[in-house]
Amino acid sequence: MMDMHPIEGYFDYNATTPVSEAAAAAMTAALRLFANPSGRTRPSTSNRELIRESKARVARLLGTVPEKVFFTSGGSEANNWAIKGSLLNDLAAPGHILTTAIEHPSVIETIRYCARQFGFEVTCLKPDASGAVSLEAVADAIRPDTRLISMMYANNETGVIQPVEQVAALARAGDIPFHVDAVQAVGKRPLDVEALGADFVSLSAHKFYGPKGIGGLYIRDIDRISPLIHGGGQEMAMRSGTENLVAIAGLGEAADECRRELERWDRHCLDCKQRLLERLRKTAIETRINGLSDCAGALSNTLNLSVPGVRGEALALLMEKKDGIVVSIGSACSNNKTRQLSPVLQAMGLADEAIQSAIRISFGRFTRLDDIDRFVDSLERCVQQLKTMSFNG
Amino acid sequence: MYNDIIIDNFSDPAHVGDIDGPEYQYEIGNPVCGDRIRIQISATGGRVDSARFRAWGCATSVATANIFCASLERLVLARLGERSDSEIEAMLGELEPSQYHCVEILQQLHRRLVDLAGEDCREATT
Repeated sequence: MMDMHPIEGYFDYNATTPVSEAAAAAMTAALRLFANPSGRTRPSTSNRELIRESKARVARLLGTVPEKVFFTSGGSEANNWAIKGSLLNDLAAPGHILTTAIEHPSVIETIRYCARQFGFEVTCLKPDASGAVSLEAVADAIRPDTRLISMMYANNETGVIQPVEQVAALARAGDIPFHVDAVQAVGKRPLDVEALGADFVSLSAHKFYGPKGIGGLYIRDIDRISPLIHGGGQEMAMRSGTENLVAIAGLGEAADECRRELERWDRHCLDCKQRLLERLRKTAIETRINGLSDCAGALSNTLNLSVPGVRGEALALLMEKKDGIVVSIGSACSNNKTRQLSPVLQAMGLADEAIQSAIRISFGRFTRLDDIDRFVDSLERCVQQLKTMSFNG
Repeated sequence: MYNDIIIDNFSDPAHVGDIDGPEYQYEIGNPVCGDRIRIQISATGGRVDSARFRAWGCATSVATANIFCASLERLVLARLGERSDSEIEAMLGELEPSQYHCVEILQQLHRRLVDLAGEDCREATT
């Protein structure tokens, strides 16, 4: 394997991103701030100010006011809170939840839990072959007893944007709480939550160069949701627990940097994606793109593709070991009884073989155009090696 | 995660290929995950000269085929049956639960060869 900085071969930005220098510096500066932000001392006041400023920065990134932003431990807690917290008022007469088959496990599993535990009925809409759920399907599935609609902004595996703005209008018309898991979109696309019109929007700092273990939930109206964590009354009594100052400092810095640089990063990712598509078109190896490849309908940093004739899992390992390239895969190594195939690609109707040969490439602000060339060169070499091992090699 | 034995045998397998007129040839597959492995063996006087494989499957499965072929080189076929299940399992190193099926693949590769070579082995030992 050639000697290079790990970030050069990193094509898994949708899994997590490297912490930016600015966010790391903010966290380092916050490390020794020990006064409890809820205290009455001067250092406590100063730490409260840090939290207030970080919240204001996140609010500016989202196009809203700080009073509507609540810190969580990450995207999963934000998703759990939006779903459980908004359904708690309906337990006496559980109704219907509308969601999609391509949601993150922290949405799908939470909804399954509510169905199992409390008796909610669930409609799980599948996307079409493009990877998008249709607005018509959502409109048709809404029932008089629909208590919640939960839909992601952009899919983590394909990058395909879902029709959340139009669904928000439908939800408003029916007075149905609407949750948007925007974990993959915040920091990648301009997002104005007030214009979007959703009731709850989830975000996670480590998807946009902030630290892990911190995220947030935008809540339009706190009367429509109950807290999950009760206690000392932090976060306007909506999410108790002494605040994670270090992570909050990192999130605030990352959000501010993102707000300033987002357009430039998005254009850069677009250039990378166009270079990748162009190189893939010219290569001798056969590839098939899963979902939309255009940059209006999908995140500029994401491409999911299948390489017929090879296993994605084997390809990913070979690229990592030979060339230090890191990608994500659509199918894990199976056991003897069940296949572990991507539910997202399955819901899109892909054949098992196509899912088994799928890899996800996601890049970001640190990806260079020549990294894309290095990626395609590695892909060509490794596919060739795997095919040589195979039966017709 | 993959152990170093799996990584080395998958990344740089020395036993990929074909043998013209092999003494033994067989193929196994896993209907669930779709893995397929073909083994070809040349032998002289009851001793393996060379073993080669072709494989389509996960990384651990490919590594398993290479490990199996490497273990056969210069082996006296009559002694094949002396290998215990635990010896066979140890050849793959420590595996994650999702990779355990490769132990079964390795045992399957071993047993098929014991069956195929059984008659020749008995002739050699009498």
